[in-house]
Amino acid sequence: MSTAADMTTTANMSLHSPWRRRLAESWHVFRGNLLGKIGLSLLCLFGLMAALSYVPQMIDPAIYHPMTGVDPLVGHAAPPSLRHWLGTDFMGRDILSQLLAGARVAFLVGVTAAFMSVALGVSIGMVSGYAGGWTDTVLMRLADMIMVMPTLLVILILSSLFGRLSIWTVVLLIAVFRWPGVSRVIRAQTLSLKQRPFIDAARVSGAGHGRIIFRHIMPNVLPLAFLYMTFRVTSAIVIEAALAFLGFGDPSTVSWGMMLQWVWKTGHMFQAPWWLLPPGICISLITLSFYMLGRAMDEVLDPRLRKSQQQAD
Amino acid sequence: MALLTVKDLSIGYQTPRGLLKAVEKVNFSLEAGQSLGLVGESGCGKTTIGMALMGLLPENGRVSGGSILLEGRDLVTTPEDEMRKIRWSQVAMIFQAAMNALNPVQRVCDQMAEAILVHRPEVGRREAMERVAELFDLVDLDRARMRDYPHQYSGGMKQRAIIAMALANQPRLIIADEPTTALDVVVQDQILEEIKRLQGKLNLGIIFISHDISIVEQMCHFIGVMYAGQLVESGTAREVFERPMHPYTQALIDSFPTLTGDKRLNPIPGEPPDLVGEIPGCRFCDRCPKPESSCRLEPPAWQEITPTHHVLCDHCEDY
Amino acid sequence: MSQATPAILELKQVGKVYQSRGSLLGGRGREVVALKELSISLNRGEIFGLVGESGSGKTTCGRLIVGLERPDSGDILLEGESIIGLKGGAWRRYRRKVQMIFQDPYQSLNPQLTILDSVIEPLVTNRIGRPEERPALVLEALKAAGLSPPEEFAPRFPHQLSGGQRQRVAIARAMVQKPSLVVADEPTSMLDASYSAQIFEILLEMREQRGTGILFITHSLAAARYLCDRIGVIYRGRLMELGPAGEVIGNPGHPYTQALLDATPKFGSTGEIPRYGTLLAVPRPGEPPRQGCPFFPRCRLGREDLCAAGFPEWSSLSPGHQVACHRWKEIAAAA
Repeated sequence: MSTAADMTTTANMSLHSPWRRRLAESWHVFRGNLLGKIGLSLLCLFGLMAALSYVPQMIDPAIYHPMTGVDPLVGHAAPPSLRHWLGTDFMGRDILSQLLAGARVAFLVGVTAAFMSVALGVSIGMVSGYAGGWTDTVLMRLADMIMVMPTLLVILILSSLFGRLSIWTVVLLIAVFRWPGVSRVIRAQTLSLKQRPFIDAARVSGAGHGRIIFRHIMPNVLPLAFLYMTFRVTSAIVIEAALAFLGFGDPSTVSWGMMLQWVWKTGHMFQAPWWLLPPGICISLITLSFYMLGRAMDEVLDPRLRKSQQQAD
Repeated sequence: MALLTVKDLSIGYQTPRGLLKAVEKVNFSLEAGQSLGLVGESGCGKTTIGMALMGLLPENGRVSGGSILLEGRDLVTTPEDEMRKIRWSQVAMIFQAAMNALNPVQRVCDQMAEAILVHRPEVGRREAMERVAELFDLVDLDRARMRDYPHQYSGGMKQRAIIAMALANQPRLIIADEPTTALDVVVQDQILEEIKRLQGKLNLGIIFISHDISIVEQMCHFIGVMYAGQLVESGTAREVFERPMHPYTQALIDSFPTLTGDKRLNPIPGEPPDLVGEIPGCRFCDRCPKPESSCRLEPPAWQEITPTHHVLCDHCEDY
Repeated sequence: MSQATPAILELKQVGKVYQSRGSLLGGRGREVVALKELSISLNRGEIFGLVGESGSGKTTCGRLIVGLERPDSGDILLEGESIIGLKGGAWRRYRRKVQMIFQDPYQSLNPQLTILDSVIEPLVTNRIGRPEERPALVLEALKAAGLSPPEEFAPRFPHQLSGGQRQRVAIARAMVQKPSLVVADEPTSMLDASYSAQIFEILLEMREQRGTGILFITHSLAAARYLCDRIGVIYRGRLMELGPAGEVIGNPGHPYTQALLDATPKFGSTGEIPRYGTLLAVPRPGEPPRQGCPFFPRCRLGREDLCAAGFPEWSSLSPGHQVACHRWKEIAAAA
């Protein structure tokens, strides 16, 4: 039989390997999910685009820079050619490099804004649901007030008051206005989890309030939180695109919404489909792929939803 | 002709891992006015048999062999529209966890009336309500509580309501699947007395499904002990419990605390086998206290101890 | 400092009342008395059975003992010192000594944590052992609870285990810090009879090998008879009878205990168990008397003048066997 030393070694192994094993398990489950695979592939494609966004400038900054690279040979909106794979915009700037730069912005804005709003929403939701009483009431009334404000409109008003906002301010504002939705749902889940015997068991084991919230309740709400995060990404990207399209975006960043604004503003909506379609399709596809990823994450994060491991009871 | 005859019944479930053989070649029969207790642990197939008798197997369950003859008519080959007429009017079920069987947003009397009208729409609402009142009397429920909602009933009252609903259309056969699991011992005693009384009065055949051998010993004339989808011992209650022959039956009795017993209980070690895939020999041999070498290779055969007492074991000994 | 008494835990006149909130439509909240003047003392290394039906307050009693709730009146003493209002280090010390096994194996383990994580929790929160030693303690506890080989079970999730296995994990979790007393709240009521026996065996081993005391909360007299040294019968928040297990079942002094015995199936019992017939088929109408014996409405032997007037005194049937019944003498004489 194993000695105490053997037991410690194997025990330490199982202590470390749960994380590695969990990652391996998660990957295995993820691989089995079709939606997830499609979503992830699309996201990898966009990720690749974002990474490649630095390349055009390296080839020839004068021609291929998304903002400033004007091709002297082509001074107008030209259809796709060998020099410019997706054609040029009205100034002669390369559309492909703009598209790649836009991917980078989409990821940054989308993921950062989503992450911040969900982190905020989850923390507030858990604390509110767990504490109850006045804390709960105050936090939820605050959430109500913020939730009824139309995000886009408020940001528009702020930018018309304070001038054009930088991209990071936009991200922050999206986070601040979007946490209430998440927090309500997380709070509801926390309320029901609070009653479950395993929370009592954690208390009897000696866990304090903080530990119960972050160690015991949070893993159970994370699947929902991740799902919401993917929705938030899509809405953050769309909000940023809308702002840019309406002319309130950050003029120093090239985003897909900006591209659409330029198409519209310069009257090329129906004349230059090679300019109009790529950004529009990209916005749609990236939001779709995040959604699919969210659905797959649901299965990965909640061990009970995994079809392959269900126990016949 | 017997009320119910089950011959060589086999039932399987299609699972992602393969065909799960939940029930394998089970045989028993029941006359009106008699009760049979099907006893065994979770997963032994007893509930599956109950569902099959009602024609309520889930999507992925199918009877793969044998027959279920209810007063001569084979329920396995009966089409669904015919089964709908038989269900609740000739054979009815009292479910486990009765709380879930009552609709919380409908008054109890309305639910019972519905059960009647679905099968005999010609009866009309007024007569159905009268019948509901009679049913309340039958199960010792206060008529004044007819118009209440289920949540206003205690656990015992809900169970009586479920029994009344099962009896609404005067069935010949009742399948009671763990009807007292969630109830306190005093209420359980009252409900079991009630069931016995109704059986005598209405000459019902009852199949009592439970994992609690103390209840089936008290309630049933005949016992069928099930393990891993097979019937391993069958006989009268007296025979099976006073002279158990199958090692599993013996082990089951040995692991049950009694009010006066002083000996140390012997829990059965291990878990039941996985029912997906072939099991060549005896299904119990992994947990059997006295396995022989042939048990693993050859499936056991039915041995007759008395004309009513049978065992599925080649090497059974007295207790 | 307390003397070396055999009692490890004492409940003294403990009371607990729950307020149910009034409904929106104007009904006022009702007060539900869960426990009233409950006094029990548990001896070191003893298995004590608290037997009662649902609504008797037995679960509340367990929750008060482990500190999930506070009593409204009375006191609870561990080794002579009150546990009410303890904080910080003193509270942690209490937690190490008293643990709980919950009723529902399907709900008492966090579905998102591995078995290892769940069982290691009390070691982490109560700062027991050095971090590198803890996993070994977990494996040891899993093995003692009958989950072998423990390395196979540790990385799994609860939904991959059967009900019986999950309950063993719950036992391992309760035992990993080697407590002096474990409250087992109906640990087998959601398991099949065959798994129940396995759990009983583990509990008995716990007491034999570690000297752990157990408060076994149950509605089954047969299980209490098998496992317990002493039994206390509780009805509607009040203790009715208390004594050695064999005595209480063989020679019950209280009409309620007799009613429970009547209702319990007599499977496998050797010898004759008489039928007492103390339960009224139809309870007496009206609310149970506020001051009197709560069993009066259902008791065939109840007398309005005695039983509705006040709660009976404790009388001794034999050494260690006590009963709270106005008519105890007549009942004992008739036996």
